Amino acid sequence: MKKIATPEYDIKEKLKCHATALATAAKEVVAPLSVTTQYPRERRKWPDCFRGYILFDPERCISCFECSFVCPANAIWMKEAKSGRYYPTLDYGKCIFCHFCIDSCPGGALKTTKIHDVSYTTMDEMFTDTEEMIAPPEIIREDEGYVEYEIDRDDLTLKRTKGQDNLIVDVAPSQGVPMVSVCVDSGSCIACKICEKVCESGAVSWALDDVKDVIRMAIDSETCTGCGLCVKECSMQILRLVRK
Amino acid sequence: MLGLPVINNLIALLLWESFFVLIIMPGFAVLGTLLLILPWIERKMVGRMQWRVGPREISPRTRGIIQLLADSLRFLFQEVIIHKDAHKRYFLQFPFLYFIPVLLPLLFINAGTAGSPLVPIVSDYGLQLMVALICLMPVFILGLGWASNNRFAFIGTVREAFLYFAYEIPFIVAVFAMVVMYGTSNSVGVVDAQAGGLWGIILNPIAALTFFIAALMATARLPFDIPEADQEVSFGPFVEFSGIAFGLAYVMGYEKMYVLSALMTMLFLGGGSGPMIPGLGEVSYLIWFVLKTLIVMIVVVNLRGVYPRYRLDQGMKIGWNAMLILALVAVAWSLVIGAII
Ligand code: SF4
Ligand code: SF4
Repeated sequence: MKKIATPEYDIKEKLKCHATALATAAKEVVAPLSVTTQYPRERRKWPDCFRGYILFDPERCISCFECSFVCPANAIWMKEAKSGRYYPTLDYGKCIFCHFCIDSCPGGALKTTKIHDVSYTTMDEMFTDTEEMIAPPEIIREDEGYVEYEIDRDDLTLKRTKGQDNLIVDVAPSQGVPMVSVCVDSGSCIACKICEKVCESGAVSWALDDVKDVIRMAIDSETCTGCGLCVKECSMQILRLVRK
Repeated sequence: MLGLPVINNLIALLLWESFFVLIIMPGFAVLGTLLLILPWIERKMVGRMQWRVGPREISPRTRGIIQLLADSLRFLFQEVIIHKDAHKRYFLQFPFLYFIPVLLPLLFINAGTAGSPLVPIVSDYGLQLMVALICLMPVFILGLGWASNNRFAFIGTVREAFLYFAYEIPFIVAVFAMVVMYGTSNSVGVVDAQAGGLWGIILNPIAALTFFIAALMATARLPFDIPEADQEVSFGPFVEFSGIAFGLAYVMGYEKMYVLSALMTMLFLGGGSGPMIPGLGEVSYLIWFVLKTLIVMIVVVNLRGVYPRYRLDQGMKIGWNAMLILALVAVAWSLVIGAII
């Protein structure tokens, strides 16, 4: 059996350790490094993947409800717009900033920003309507510069740059994994044609099967964008999204 | 002045040497100023060691120097809560009573130099009296902890008691070594014996080291802040104090540190000896004395940024083992060196 014991130092080594500790402290007092960002007078430059306030682009939304399904905090509630389409609203009182919604959005309608300092006076205010999610919120910016942390081997330095960091992230919306909708049980299809109605890209078509005298639905895998609308709406729940 | 006889008398009283030394410098006035500034110095320097900034937001242009003033105002206006299990009378009295053993040693501190002593009370038993008063301080902390009637306070108090015995004996022996060395326990004689730059720290560095470590333990500074350890017993004996009572408890440690640093300056750093500053006369000795004391205090507070805390058993081991041996060696050293000189 191996026994683990504290390392034994002789008196010479101990004195050396004390001297090194005191010398390091003295050095830091004279010429200290610093890791403090003087927020709000300066901001830290966050990476583009920072999980901050969420912006919404209605042009890209296909009303797939994916965001509200995936949200672990139940913060997204779909609201019917005048056009009859459903768009997400977001309750920041519940949101835990996991950004699952952004990752799951097939159309790239949701996107992150580096804004993390929005304040509200009431809980009701934290409920953010679809319209309010389109433009970035109004924040007071006192920062005159931004700070970047640079780590070289074992030391860390702050690099200060004058000017304001752009808090709106300019990333191309994710293309996601190309998916396509397929029917897994065509025998159960009742030909309600809902999928054809909801499909925005016209990928679903139908034809009369003369032999059996039934209507057969078909999904064109080339035109299907894999948005999943039909999967959600299918009365018999026999459609599935699979990788293209 | 203004034809008022009282003012003349007042000024005469203030400038009366013994009174000036006790009340103004290095006595109460300087102590009060240091109490306001030292925690700031401590927080700033330890902050720099740890790559932080330290106090800043209150008056950023002066780098937050009035932080402690703001803190004291907060202490002043906070409610003092006395919980119902506390021994109310002692709970409130001890923080005030504590000032007696802390401030009385200042009566015997000699801030002058060889030939021109600046001491409020000259006594042949000055050192003994100071040591006795300093050894009285932990009793009040034990009282505080007992009156708090709180489990953390009890644990902290017992730790304080353990540590008290561990450092007290080496502390007294170290002072004794210097008494042997100088051949006197009169604070005037002690400073006179260090004339010509032959300071106690050169004559007997072992005693100086022992005294310094004992001072660290006595003031419960890191690495020996075992009784107060805020992460373990959340400020130990002071855990129940709030408002102005906590403010008093908070400055207690610093007052004690001031007294011990002043004693260290007198015993080992030649008192107020230093080059005369032209035009100031004897006040220049006082300035040197306060400067040396301040340097000792800064070293003491800055160890906080260097060392982690010892466990209680390790602290006791250091006290009963290494320090006691060091103190005894210091006495032997004093006997040998004293014989040579
Ligand atoms: S970030 Fe997470 S918690 Fe917030 S709305 Fe999106 S999915 Fe929900
Ligand atoms: S996941 Fe994207 S596309 Fe689907 S409803 Fe939400 S925002 Fe619209």
